[in-house]
Amino acid sequence: MRIEITKEWCLRMAEIEANAEIGAGLYALDPVFDGETMPANETNEEPSIAFGRFVRLMRRDRGLTLEKLAEDTDVEISELVEIEDDTHHKPELRTVYQLANYFKVPRSNLLQVAGLTAPRDNRLIDEAVRFAARSESVAVLTPEERAALEAFVAVLSEEK
Amino acid sequence: MTITVSPIFLFNAERSEPEAAELWDGITDQQLGDWEGEWVPELFKAVQKLHRAGVERRHWPQSRHWNWRKKTEALQGMLAHLGFSIVCNGMTQGMMIVDTTMKRCRIEEQKGKNLVYVEFVENAPWNRPELAQPPLYRGIGSILVRAAIALSQEEEFKGRIGLHSLPQANSFYANTCGMSDLGMDPDHQDLRYFEMTPEQAEAFIAKGNQP
Repeated sequence: MRIEITKEWCLRMAEIEANAEIGAGLYALDPVFDGETMPANETNEEPSIAFGRFVRLMRRDRGLTLEKLAEDTDVEISELVEIEDDTHHKPELRTVYQLANYFKVPRSNLLQVAGLTAPRDNRLIDEAVRFAARSESVAVLTPEERAALEAFVAVLSEEK
Repeated sequence: MTITVSPIFLFNAERSEPEAAELWDGITDQQLGDWEGEWVPELFKAVQKLHRAGVERRHWPQSRHWNWRKKTEALQGMLAHLGFSIVCNGMTQGMMIVDTTMKRCRIEEQKGKNLVYVEFVENAPWNRPELAQPPLYRGIGSILVRAAIALSQEEEFKGRIGLHSLPQANSFYANTCGMSDLGMDPDHQDLRYFEMTPEQAEAFIAKGNQP
C-alpha cells in the first residue's frame, strides 16, 4: 500500500521524535551476547571440528601464541582454548565475528562452519568436513596441512 | 512478494539536513540480510565499547531471554507477516511487523474492536541513542507509527493500533505518539501496553502538520 506522507510532516515529527528510543514488541529485545551459550545443534558436529582446526591452523600459520591471538582479537583466551580443543564447544557469536574479521574471511561462512547458523551452503560444509579430516593438530604445520588450510580458506572466502 | 514504495524523508543528524528515504510495505530478504550483516555487528561493537568504557553490565542494551539465534529465527519467521521497513542510503534503517487479525482492543471505549497490533519495531543500531552518539537518522519511529495508522485506516479499524513498548521507549509512545498507557503486561515480560484510539491517531497526524 502506498502511503502519502509529506516532507514537512516527516521533518516536523523527526524534530519532535529527536533521539527517542522506539523499540517495541518482545522481538525487539536485544539478543544476549555474553554469558549465554548458544543452544547445541546436534547436526553441526563436523563443522564444529573444522572450526577448531581452522582457528588452530590459521593461528599457527601466523606463528601466533594463543595469548597473542586472544589479545589481537579481544577474545578470552579460555574461549580460544575451548574452540581449539573441544569439538563440542559452541563459540560465542561475537568470538566468531572477531575471528572472521581477524582472519579476513566472510562472517556468514564462518558462522556456518562454527555451527552457529543453519548450513545454507552444502559445498562449504562438505569442504569443512574434508578439511577437518585432512588436518591434524600437531605442532608443526606440515606442507599437507598448509595445503589443506589454503584450500579451505579459498572456499571459505567465496562471497555469495 | 510485491513491495510498494512510498517516498519519505528522514533527518540526517550528522549532516543536519533532510535525506530522501523510502517506506516499504514489507519485510524482505534484504532487511534480514541487513539485520544479520550490518545491524548485529554494529550492536556487538556498541556493546564492546560500553564494556571498555566500564559501563556496568546492567546498563548494557541486552535484554533477558533472547539469544541471537532465536531472534534470527523469529525474524525469518516474520517474512510472511505484514510489515513495513524504512530504507535510506541503501540500508534498512528501521523495521516493523504488524498483525491485523489476532489481537483486539483493550481500552474500555473500544474494547474488543479490531486493531493493528504492532508485533515488533526496531531501529538500526546506529539510530539508537543508547548505542550511537549521536544517532544518525531521526524520524523513523514516527513514520512507522504513521504507517501502522494508515494500515489500520485501510483495514477500516479507524487508526486503532496497539503495542508493547520496550521500557526505554515508553516515553516515545506515551508522549510523542500520545497513546494510552494501559500498564505493565505480565503476559509480555512486563512490557507496558499502549493503545491508540482513532482520536489519538488523528491528533498524532495533526501534530506533524503543525508548524
